[in-house]
Amino acid sequence: MSRFFKGPVVLAARLILGGVFIYASLGKISDPAAFATAVGNYHVLPFGLENLMAMVLPWLELIAGVCLIVGIMVDGATIMIIIMNIVFVIAITQALARGISIECGCFSVAPESGDNIGLQTILRDFGYLALAFIVFYRQEKQLEFFPKSV
Amino acid sequence: MNIRSPIGQTVFLLFLSCIIGFSSNLFSSNSIPWIAPELTVVEEIDTTTDEAVLVAISLEQAKSFFDDGILFVDARDEGYYEAGHIQGAMRNSFLMELIFNIEERQGKDVPLVVYCGDPGCGDSEQLAYDLKDSGFTKLYVFKGGWVEWSGAAYPSQVD
Repeated sequence: MSRFFKGPVVLAARLILGGVFIYASLGKISDPAAFATAVGNYHVLPFGLENLMAMVLPWLELIAGVCLIVGIMVDGATIMIIIMNIVFVIAITQALARGISIECGCFSVAPESGDNIGLQTILRDFGYLALAFIVFYRQEKQLEFFPKSV
Repeated sequence: MNIRSPIGQTVFLLFLSCIIGFSSNLFSSNSIPWIAPELTVVEEIDTTTDEAVLVAISLEQAKSFFDDGILFVDARDEGYYEAGHIQGAMRNSFLMELIFNIEERQGKDVPLVVYCGDPGCGDSEQLAYDLKDSGFTKLYVFKGGWVEWSGAAYPSQVD
């Protein structure tokens, strides 16, 4: 794909993605036990590894979000966000396919948050993927401080 | 590793997240164990003991508890509850409301069974630990949950 996104579109995509991922990380960082439960509910990680995931993933979201907004390592942060979103889509799809009735754990990790997984959560993730591709295939680097050029 | 390349940056960010995540868990007041502990299903259940109980139970044990009229609490979201749940099970409202409802019905030292969707789901265990923290002393987690119960065609209801 050629690099054809530029200007305010890229900046807006960076701000939206960064904001969403920072927001999504905060509740998980403050309550890792509840997030570990939410991860465990997906049944994709064996041997109680959901706790390790619950320790690292929220920080990954926070750091990637901050990098996008501040303009540091934007390429790396965008790749991280693309990988995370692909993993989220796979996790949600397999849970839906197996008929597991669970909450998303995407933004709020409270057990009664009411944010159940479904087609809407998959579409939401595809929306974030689209924004991430806009950032990744940007034509010019505006308001980016490291690295200035690849 | 070239930190100026996109892949180098990705590896660096992943590494940084691991370092911060693991170390913040070490020093946090909300820290969790490295590996999630699992409740194991007990063979023998002594419902007459005065000691606090928090154990997992099998489908047969759950049915036996059901036949004895022991309270079941559905830990799933209300939408799933309304689509089908164990007959007579209490819905999972807000925790404080749930605690109030259980206390009003039977107090904190009477056995109750918590369940969620399927054998591996964590909501029932999480709710059981929340109830334990709130002073409930006789907690049984039916790990098979709604999938095993409905699969066995045991009494259920929709509302």
